[in-house]
Amino acid sequence: MRRTYLGEFEEVVLLMVAILDGEGYGVTVSQALEEHTGRIVTFGTVHNTLIRLEEKGFVTSELGGGTAERGGRRKRLFRVTALGSRALQEIQQLRQELWQLIPPKTLQLSGS
Amino acid sequence: MNPQDANRNVGSPPRWAHWLLTKLHPQETLEEVEGDLDELYTYWYDRAGRTQATLRYILNVVSVLPPFVRRRKTDKQQYEQLSSFHPDMIRNYLKIAFRNLIKNRVYSAINIIGLTTGLVVGIFVLLWVQHELSYDRFHRNTPHIYRVLTNVGKGDSREIWSHTHAPLATFAKADVPEIKNAVRIRDNRDFVQFTHGDRQLIDDKKAYVDPSFFTFFDFKLLQGNSNYPFQGDHSVVLTATTAQRYFGHENPIGNVLMADTKEQFVVTGVLDDFPENSSIQYDMLFPMNLYATRFTRDHKGKTINEDWGTFTYDTFLELTPGTATQSVEHKLAGLLRIHFRDIGIDDPYALQPLANIHLYKTDGSDGLIQTVNLFLIIGILILIVACTNYVNLSMARSLLRAKEVGVRKLIGAGKVQLFVQFILEATLLFAIAAMATLVLMQLLIPAYNTIANRHMVLRLSDPQLWSVIGLTLVATLALSSIYPALLLASFDPMQVLKGRFSMGISTTFFRKLLVTGQFMVSVGLIAGTLVIDRQLTYIHTKELGYDKEYVFSVDIGKMQRQAQLVKADLMKQQGVRGITYANDQLVNLGTTTGKTDWEGKSPDQRFFVHPLTVDQDFLSVFKLSLVEGQGFTGIASDSTHFILNETAVREAGLTNPIGKRFTLWNTEGTIIGVVKDFHFASLKQKIEPAVFQYNPGNELMYVKTTGEDAPQALAAVEKRWKQYNAGLPFMYSFLDDTYDNLYKSEQRTGWLFSLFAAVAILISCLGLFGLATYAAQLRTREIGVRKVLGASVVGIVQLLARDFIQLVLIAIVLATPLIWYVMNQWLKEFAYKVTLDWWIFALAGLLAVGIALLTVSFQSIKAALMNPVTSLRSE
Repeated sequence: MRRTYLGEFEEVVLLMVAILDGEGYGVTVSQALEEHTGRIVTFGTVHNTLIRLEEKGFVTSELGGGTAERGGRRKRLFRVTALGSRALQEIQQLRQELWQLIPPKTLQLSGS
Repeated sequence: MNPQDANRNVGSPPRWAHWLLTKLHPQETLEEVEGDLDELYTYWYDRAGRTQATLRYILNVVSVLPPFVRRRKTDKQQYEQLSSFHPDMIRNYLKIAFRNLIKNRVYSAINIIGLTTGLVVGIFVLLWVQHELSYDRFHRNTPHIYRVLTNVGKGDSREIWSHTHAPLATFAKADVPEIKNAVRIRDNRDFVQFTHGDRQLIDDKKAYVDPSFFTFFDFKLLQGNSNYPFQGDHSVVLTATTAQRYFGHENPIGNVLMADTKEQFVVTGVLDDFPENSSIQYDMLFPMNLYATRFTRDHKGKTINEDWGTFTYDTFLELTPGTATQSVEHKLAGLLRIHFRDIGIDDPYALQPLANIHLYKTDGSDGLIQTVNLFLIIGILILIVACTNYVNLSMARSLLRAKEVGVRKLIGAGKVQLFVQFILEATLLFAIAAMATLVLMQLLIPAYNTIANRHMVLRLSDPQLWSVIGLTLVATLALSSIYPALLLASFDPMQVLKGRFSMGISTTFFRKLLVTGQFMVSVGLIAGTLVIDRQLTYIHTKELGYDKEYVFSVDIGKMQRQAQLVKADLMKQQGVRGITYANDQLVNLGTTTGKTDWEGKSPDQRFFVHPLTVDQDFLSVFKLSLVEGQGFTGIASDSTHFILNETAVREAGLTNPIGKRFTLWNTEGTIIGVVKDFHFASLKQKIEPAVFQYNPGNELMYVKTTGEDAPQALAAVEKRWKQYNAGLPFMYSFLDDTYDNLYKSEQRTGWLFSLFAAVAILISCLGLFGLATYAAQLRTREIGVRKVLGASVVGIVQLLARDFIQLVLIAIVLATPLIWYVMNQWLKEFAYKVTLDWWIFALAGLLAVGIALLTVSFQSIKAALMNPVTSLRSE
């Protein structure tokens, strides 16, 4: 399988799904996004991103847990797959390695 | 579905938005999205109030409507087949097709060779046909342009001439309102050689034309004024190539050409070269007025418009659209009566459409169109034979691929996918064949141009050329790929995989039909080749009644004044066996006249006779034998003596012709001899009446020499000739060559037929070879068992070959009557011809069987010799 890339927004959504740990679905992901990053996006954006992540194999989903709040309709709950977690870890690791390469003074100078 | 009552106290999202969502959101994710949005509405309601919630709800509903929403693939969809035309699929088809080509190298090679050969020959034939059919159709007014034909004589002696007299065009244009325009063309033989500076050239395609020529036709005048093409009588219009030959890069306009060292012509126009598909072809055009002026000078003031007796003009008329040709013909006949006299023929003129000139004879019967149609059919047949190969081989091999189809279908391949796959496989093969075809065509174009007498080039910009090539390719591809692809795609996977599969009777029958068809074409073409070849041999070896071996003729020009002196001198030269003078080419006597009279002629009796003036040695040089009387001796009274051929005597109804009175034109005399009939025209014509008249010094000299001494004789003649005709080129022709030229087109047809036959046989045999290989493969085990049980090699070869030979025999039986009919039509052209013997067809059949047997037996013997242990162990 050819390498699949993860976009920035996709990465954030994938992280949300990981944070929510099995409780992630459209509503909670949207709310978590707003809560943790302050980004307000349309529901459609989240919806589409989740579908795309699933197509890429980073998350799986199953239907379940209808509540009265939602008129008894089931939710689609997302969970990070092994591929998804590996992708996140790789990104994390890559970032870290890159951070290591930055000469210590650079950021101090630019930051000051 | 409505939100539950419990949620009503917190308000509910607008119904219409919800309705929109249920209608437009993809069904697969509707439930979860509806729920999520409801939940979010409540969340927003709680945090920001009703209005905010409603607004956000609407905005977010829109964000999950098409085209913004991404469709979730259901589990089924995720693994469902791609469209048959998805790029990935097409890549896959091509990959499989390519692997198949490589894997079955022999079949691929057979197919590609067969297709390429067929396509090259087929396309060339079709290109030729298209070219012939396009003759004279490039003028804007072609549908309204007619050539005037002259009808002369009545009954049996009726002839149709393509030339008319000069006054007709003049009066027709003036008096007949339906005639918009008219033009006359008269061949110009008044000049031989033209000089410009140090360039001396001979152009034999010269004509006098009316100035209207340049506006009447759509020939493009590159330089000069088409309304006033000539400036004075001594001007000339050249074609671009001719101008280039004389003047190189100089501007030809205003330049001067010297004709035969006596007259000067100013170039006043340059015409684009005549298109190849034009019946009208000249190098130089002179003003008609020049000829008219000379004519008047030479005929004591009589103008060409008063000369109703000379039929040397091509007359073309342009009619107003919608005019009936019959009424015009009628009016022209009326003109003749008014301006000349009643010549006793009701229909002295006929109009022939310009587009028909090239393809039809003057009497409207099939001319070249017969050959064109014949070749069109052959071209298509050859293409079909090539297609048949592909169909046959792929059908035969479909048994081997049945399992592949079965497995593919079980995995989930649809009919369409398989169909597309097989079509693409064919397309790939065709693409390779097409490429090879184009390369081969490029290489063979010089040969084609020689045979077809053309100057074709494969130009990318020629739409007609490419439409022929493209159409042929697409048609053959469609013809040969669709049926096998449908067949393969329609296999029932269960049957195939259970091994209970066998080809239906209809398919086997269809395949046999195809092989039979292929061999019908081959047998037909072989028989055709044999017949044509026999006829050509017949023509070549037939006793013509005179001896034309090693005789050459020379137009003696100014030497005519000293004819007798030259003759006496030349007779002493080495290699000269005999010399005689006559006024026409003996091989093909052109002139005919009806102005004859004889003793005992009844008033309504009339025949056309070919007059020839000869000297006293004519009969002996050509070894013509007299049936009665004697030949010319050179005595004074010979000038009123005539010698007739047998046919003339018979048609005149003369008994005891010697001593009878005979009149030719204005010469009254007596018949002194009757010469045995001889062929003085193409063998397509019956021997016609001929009469010899005596004249010791004619313009044409015949020199009889021998094979060895011909060069000396020629040199001797040339030396004398140059003395009298200084500055002019010496030209001669051997009678044998002139004679062969009469049958050029037949020789070409014969040559092409043998080529076509060879191609058809090659392709058919390739197919047969493939089929035999396949049959042997399929029956490997059967052959093994038979051998184990004691079958002989011969028996097995017979077994394998019998099926194919049967088909070839059926093909022979079916093809014979067809080809017999066609060749009979072809032979009808000849008055003297070979008979269509049964053995020609038997020989053709035998050849076909022999070739088929050779092809098949190679594989069969190989199969029969195989060790049964090897073939049976695989079980």
